[in-house]
Amino acid sequence: MNLVRAAAAKLRSWEGFLLLILIITVIGNAIQSPVFLTVGNQINLFQLSIEKIIVALMMTLIIINAEIDLSVASMMGLSACAFGWLFLHGIPVPLAMIAAILVGTLGGAFNAFWITRVGIPSLVVTLAMLIGFRGLARVLVEDRGITGFPEWFDAMGQQPIIGPFPLALLIFFALLILLIVVLHFSAFGRYVYVIGNNAQMARYSGVDILRVKSILFIASGTVAALAGLLFAARVGAVRGDVALGFELDIITIVLLGGVSIFGGSGSIFGVLLSILIVLNLRNGMALANITGHLQTGVIGSLLILSVLIPNIRQRIRDALERYQAAR
Amino acid sequence: MKTPVMEMKSVSKHFAMTAALSKVSLALYPGEVHALVGENGAGKSTLIKIMTGIHRATEGEILLDGDPVTIQNTQQAQALGVAAIYQEPMVFPDLDVAENIFISHRDLGPFVKWRDMYDNARDIIRTLGVTLDVDIPASGLTLAEQQTVEIARAISLKVRVLIMDEPTASLSAHEVTQLMNVVRTLREQGVAILYISHRLEEVFEIADRVTVLRDGQHISTNPIADVTSDGLIRDMVGREIDDFFGKRTKRTRQDVLLSVRGLTKENVFTDINFDIHRGEVLCFAGLIGARRTDVGLALFGIEPADRGEVSFEGQPVEITTPEQAIALGIAYSSEDRRKLGLAMSMSITANASLPTLRKYLSGLGLIHRSDESAMAESYRQKLNIRTPSIHTTVGTLSGGNQQKVMLSKWLNVKPKLLIFDEPTRGIDVGAKAEVHQIVNELAAEGVAVIVISSDLPEVLAMADRILVMREGQQMGIFDAEDATQENIMSLATGQTTLAAAG
Repeated sequence: MNLVRAAAAKLRSWEGFLLLILIITVIGNAIQSPVFLTVGNQINLFQLSIEKIIVALMMTLIIINAEIDLSVASMMGLSACAFGWLFLHGIPVPLAMIAAILVGTLGGAFNAFWITRVGIPSLVVTLAMLIGFRGLARVLVEDRGITGFPEWFDAMGQQPIIGPFPLALLIFFALLILLIVVLHFSAFGRYVYVIGNNAQMARYSGVDILRVKSILFIASGTVAALAGLLFAARVGAVRGDVALGFELDIITIVLLGGVSIFGGSGSIFGVLLSILIVLNLRNGMALANITGHLQTGVIGSLLILSVLIPNIRQRIRDALERYQAAR
Repeated sequence: MKTPVMEMKSVSKHFAMTAALSKVSLALYPGEVHALVGENGAGKSTLIKIMTGIHRATEGEILLDGDPVTIQNTQQAQALGVAAIYQEPMVFPDLDVAENIFISHRDLGPFVKWRDMYDNARDIIRTLGVTLDVDIPASGLTLAEQQTVEIARAISLKVRVLIMDEPTASLSAHEVTQLMNVVRTLREQGVAILYISHRLEEVFEIADRVTVLRDGQHISTNPIADVTSDGLIRDMVGREIDDFFGKRTKRTRQDVLLSVRGLTKENVFTDINFDIHRGEVLCFAGLIGARRTDVGLALFGIEPADRGEVSFEGQPVEITTPEQAIALGIAYSSEDRRKLGLAMSMSITANASLPTLRKYLSGLGLIHRSDESAMAESYRQKLNIRTPSIHTTVGTLSGGNQQKVMLSKWLNVKPKLLIFDEPTRGIDVGAKAEVHQIVNELAAEGVAVIVISSDLPEVLAMADRILVMREGQQMGIFDAEDATQENIMSLATGQTTLAAAG
């Protein structure tokens, strides 16, 4: 009985609600289209947004820490463009890839410097860098589209390497497992939550909050740069507008996953569910030949609902309590 | 006998499995100050929340002028003439006094009639018998004045039952007197007042009747003339406390642990000099604004001093971060539990292990949950933290139990020096005695304890020596046996120097 009640309590939580929506979406899609449940379609569904969801995993930690990184999409663009520029200038592809990822690490460190050493809010710093990194990316490639990368590089973005899984998907799963362990089982993860809850208190308890924040922003920049490279490989071309506007989709996924924008609460599990919902919804609508604009509208409504539903739920709960009290 | 304005008849409130209040009855009469006392967690807050419509009672009824009512929400409570003011006044700093007074009104039409509003505000302030400009912004008001504004707000809403929850907890002695006068004025005007306070002397000064709650149960209601402070305390804690503050025994002095010379922070404190020995309790006494906490923060590395020498265990040290202080064996338990002490939405375990998390890690940096829980569980038992589980969220505990979680957190550092800022602020007598007991035991184990306290009886009972500060200056150090409330106060208020006071 207790077990049942505990399970019910779990299901009433936000994660439970997301799980319900996911199941409904999956069943709906499966009924609607016979190809939906095929391995090929399932992989494809991840592939189309793989870079966003990789970055969303890292963003989860940043938002739980009560910070935000708005510069991730611009960093994806910058890393892709830096890679393209180096490639054009005859640098060997492997070297150019390493350099592009280093650009992300440095960009993240640059953000971290202003946030932790100078004390400017991350919202302001990363908003400035949203413009800054993007500007740099456009300066590097101007209005060209750079293509003609070696075949193995393009293949990296599309070819399955282990079983049916392409590299980007494997990176996503590896990062997922790593971040679950870090956030939910390690001291670093505990610090991330505590700082998001009450940063001053954490400082008074001897937690090096500047170190934790620096690591998060450097990791965020690095992961974004890696995602930018994966994008370049998947599309096989680099332009100044790579990943333009992705930051909003990424933050949306994280918030839909139940992470509080004020920090201190949320989980990777919730964000994973949110990722699966968004991907399955988009895929299902694509299979049903619903246009891209309408798809965006549906995802948007889902977000609005995700804000409204906890509110409505609370009202229903209050009404029930009143009803019981009246009896 | 008059009929009560408001009456609670065997009201109960259950939260999930626990009963926060069971069958409590209480009658409030017009023109009467009714004191409500009890330890933290006794159910006072729950009762207030039911009266003001924040919670709904699980059973029982509420009568207003003899008629049963259900109070669904705070607006309805307000319409019925029930209002509450709290320890931390709720004022809008950018609005002026009159605007703050009329902020809750929804019945004055769509446009503000400025002239009427200021006139009415002035009238209300006058009836309270205080002087306060109604057109100055609230941001410049003292806490006592802010409370006056809150009371005026309640009066503007035709309050008939005014609940005052720990209104004097952050007020100075002078401000308390002012507030007491306001309360008397209200009583003369026929308002029924429910007055909640931990300070028994206030209860005896102001109340007509007094009700004691314990563990959610109604224990007693008596006219104030029929009770004694010992009797009240007995009712509150349910046991005899032979010595309220647990007098400490004189101990032989051990070697010096920490030595401070000429410690100075520009515009904060100047030239602080003292030694503290192992096993000694040194109290920092002084008024609010004496900068005692700042000295503590400097020693803990939060706000390092600019000049001066500190040596710890005979070695000169320069402490610039809390990490460094903790590594040396210095712990600082803050006076502000909510902002600086605990993560309110996290578990007892996560709070208790925070400064020492490294002790519970495997090689890969992962937390050993079982070791961590075992530690929290051992402190729960040792410090008698009253909670069903160590996984309980800290924010749901009473003040006294929160203070014990703070202590667990810092005791687990195994400190050589514990700086304990306001150890018993906002906690009830029972927990207070327990905290004093813990400090005594620590001292007996050889831990040096700096207690920063504004509670003079507490200082006199706990201290081996007392350092008095005033406006960032060290006024003198007493041995406990030479100290009296009078000579400490005369130093703290700057009326004398040490030589004259001694």
